[in-house]
Amino acid sequence: MRGAVSGDRLRVYVTGYRVMAYITGVLIIVICFVGLPLQFAAGNGWIDKWLGTVHGYLYIVYVIVAYLLGSKLRLRPMQMIPLLLAGIVPVMTFIVERWMMRKHIEPALAANAASADQQPATR
Amino acid sequence: MSHVPMRRSTLGGRDTLNSMETPGSEPSAQVVPDTPEPVTPGPDTPESDASRVVSGPVWRFLIEPRWLGWHLFVILAFWGMLWLGDWQFRRAMAGNGLSWAYTFEWPLFAGFGVVFWARTIRDEFRLRRGVDMATGQIGVVAESGPVLPDGIGTRPIERPADDADDAELASYNAYLAKLNAEVKGHNKWRR
Repeated sequence: MRGAVSGDRLRVYVTGYRVMAYITGVLIIVICFVGLPLQFAAGNGWIDKWLGTVHGYLYIVYVIVAYLLGSKLRLRPMQMIPLLLAGIVPVMTFIVERWMMRKHIEPALAANAASADQQPATR
Repeated sequence: MSHVPMRRSTLGGRDTLNSMETPGSEPSAQVVPDTPEPVTPGPDTPESDASRVVSGPVWRFLIEPRWLGWHLFVILAFWGMLWLGDWQFRRAMAGNGLSWAYTFEWPLFAGFGVVFWARTIRDEFRLRRGVDMATGQIGVVAESGPVLPDGIGTRPIERPADDADDAELASYNAYLAKLNAEVKGHNKWRR
């Protein structure tokens, strides 16, 4: 049944999200703070072009993973949109990831653990 | 790490408390349930509160102003992303080889947007139908927990029966339960 997420499955979603958040976060930082200066100062657009493409495709994965986690956590659209857009704003993935951990993920994991302790038969 | 300011900010950002303190700002969040609902509007409750008493057919929420706004946003975002894809396609045809990647990505994102929108509406239907059905069998729903947001450790046991119709108190109790869950979670997570 949807909604009753088991703790283990939630953990899988959380791990997937965090991994993708770090990958896309690092990539976008490299693109913006290394690639763009290189392109405009040295005329070398190699990093931008290829890492940009790689980031583009990894961002697709990020969006999917983040959406899955967000829907499990029942985020509202106003919370979901910044979560999904974080992957294309430099440094934002790290901020949003911390916010997600603190405000949504840890409480959800704790609630799952609590309800698992309380009613082991239903889970 | 100091936890106290963090929680303060959590409280400050709560939609339910805010809308209770300033009635009239958020027309949809104020209706107090006349049945003792196990589902308490909390910080993680989806867009429309599950505790709302809806009159008329379930689909009527789709034409509420807030939802109409979202529909408009989805339509604009959809066309915007298709337009960007078309722009990248023109760039690719003009010789920019790397634009081919984005040519396919933008329509994909446009599709994502529509899928997310459809899923949100589907979940909203399920939520509202579940609440409607739950008026007869609140206990069952509360125990199996399909309606409860994952972030809230609300348990009917913790709430005395005479307080059950006090939405503000219930909301505050849910907040306390969440804090409690957060404390437990910190220990668990950082172990």
